[in-house]
Amino acid sequence: MTGWHLDDDALRRYVGRTDSLAEGVSAEQHLLSCEPCRARVNAAVSVIELSVVDLAAVWNRTRDAIEVPRPSVFERLLRAAGLPAHDARLVAVASAFRGVWLTGAAAILAFAALAAAIGHARGMWLFLAVAPIVPCLVVASSYDPWMDPALEPELVTPYPALRLILLRTIAVLALALPAVLLFGLVIPGEAPFAWLLPAVGFVAVVLAASTWVSPLRAAIAVSSAWLALVSLLATRPGSPDAVIQGRAQAGFLVLAAASFVIFLLRRRQLRQLRPWG
Amino acid sequence: MPTASVNLRDVGRTFGATRALADVDLELKPGVTGLLGPNGAGKTTLLRLLATALSASQGQVRVLGLNPEIPAERTGIRRQLGYQPQEVGFPRGFTAFAFVDYIALLKEWTEPAARHAEVRRVLELVGLSDLSAKRIRAMSGGQRRRLTLAQALLGSPSVLILDEPTTGVDPEQRVTLRTVLAEIARTSIVVLSTHQTEDVAALCERVIVLDRGLVRYDGLVTDLVAQAAGRVWLADEPDPAASVSWRTGTGRYRNVGARAQDGVEHVEPSLEDAYLLLRGGAAQDEPAEEVAS
Repeated sequence: MTGWHLDDDALRRYVGRTDSLAEGVSAEQHLLSCEPCRARVNAAVSVIELSVVDLAAVWNRTRDAIEVPRPSVFERLLRAAGLPAHDARLVAVASAFRGVWLTGAAAILAFAALAAAIGHARGMWLFLAVAPIVPCLVVASSYDPWMDPALEPELVTPYPALRLILLRTIAVLALALPAVLLFGLVIPGEAPFAWLLPAVGFVAVVLAASTWVSPLRAAIAVSSAWLALVSLLATRPGSPDAVIQGRAQAGFLVLAAASFVIFLLRRRQLRQLRPWG
Repeated sequence: MPTASVNLRDVGRTFGATRALADVDLELKPGVTGLLGPNGAGKTTLLRLLATALSASQGQVRVLGLNPEIPAERTGIRRQLGYQPQEVGFPRGFTAFAFVDYIALLKEWTEPAARHAEVRRVLELVGLSDLSAKRIRAMSGGQRRRLTLAQALLGSPSVLILDEPTTGVDPEQRVTLRTVLAEIARTSIVVLSTHQTEDVAALCERVIVLDRGLVRYDGLVTDLVAQAAGRVWLADEPDPAASVSWRTGTGRYRNVGARAQDGVEHVEPSLEDAYLLLRGGAAQDEPAEEVAS
């Protein structure tokens, strides 16, 4: 070993691979036998790599700030409620959460509730007709191929379709049912929770029926049937109470349970959902 | 390690009384396989079967040795699958990055930093990294098509199913996409359906021609083209002996006929010539066949 060592410039060129072939061979030869110079090379390489990592991290943070979409208010609420960030995003994407449907549904409910509250003769019937079907229409819109045109690529991912649809359903119900309850409070003489079982029952029917037909078609069919029944009853004497009170509540409970069982049994058919199909 | 493969045995699919696919027997290995056929030939149905978006009405489908009819195995397939459907809608208000990021979430990329890096990688592959923050509704048709391809490339899938990936894409980008797909096909099974015979000629070693739900040809592209040798010729007028003729840019007529002609100016056949010849010159679309009752 001689007293000669790589000077700083030669070391920098070696580490940065900007040295000539002859200079590089000479440096290699010296490093084989010189522990202090090897240590200097290690230190120089570490500094360079660290600076690269830091730059990459800064660059990624900058790109994140530009590219990564900011979570919506609803998504932040879901996260605050304890839903994992990725599940919150998946739920929030459902087109139903774009606000149009929920706003429209709330407006219809408010109108019906107001009409009932001021004692309009038909107000009560109107609320009775509208309140139970609003949640099922909104649920259907959250995963109908027409309303969610990205559905086909979504359904062939490993993420379970059943979980995706139930997450959206629960999230929609979490928004729609309180609205039904809230407006139900202003209906004179009615228990606000009386609307819940019919609403849940119809949602379950839509879930089950969507293993045969598109969710929106199912929701429209259920809603039409309900509106026809209410219209028929409205022409007869008596209070609308009977439709949702007493034994009818038990009927809606059975309907909800049976429909949910059918939905679970036929859940494999959900993958046949297809936009424009 | 066994080579990855996709196997279909005697596979058929009907929609009500309509037969979309019948008696399909295929074995696919890594490489690019092109699917050609007129509208209604069953190409999209076949791709949807391979992509686990649809069940077969009969026969057996195995993707990477897994049975798509068994839920756990179907999930296993989907973990190794990339699928670009023919038509994809986009959630309202989404940017390119947000859409691919959303599909990445469904593909179990839950760790944000790794997911974002993967989203950037696939956007780079399809040439959209500069447009990642652009709203999808402001993108051109070709850019949207590339975006749907990007989501299919997430995770470097072992099986890549592409339904008309280059429709609406400009020529320069098509060449870039061919390069990307050729690289992926070194280790992955790539199946692409297209109406662009030049894409198949440029990219595929093997081609499958479907017609009314049946496999009309399955073999090497070069062998299919060779079948048209001596059956394509130029003339000043459309030749009555040809199955199909059309006026070219030079003003002369390109004739493709089942019988080789003597005393005419033969030209080198293209894949398009061979395809037209195979279809007997019936270039017009035909509806899917009704199942005999």
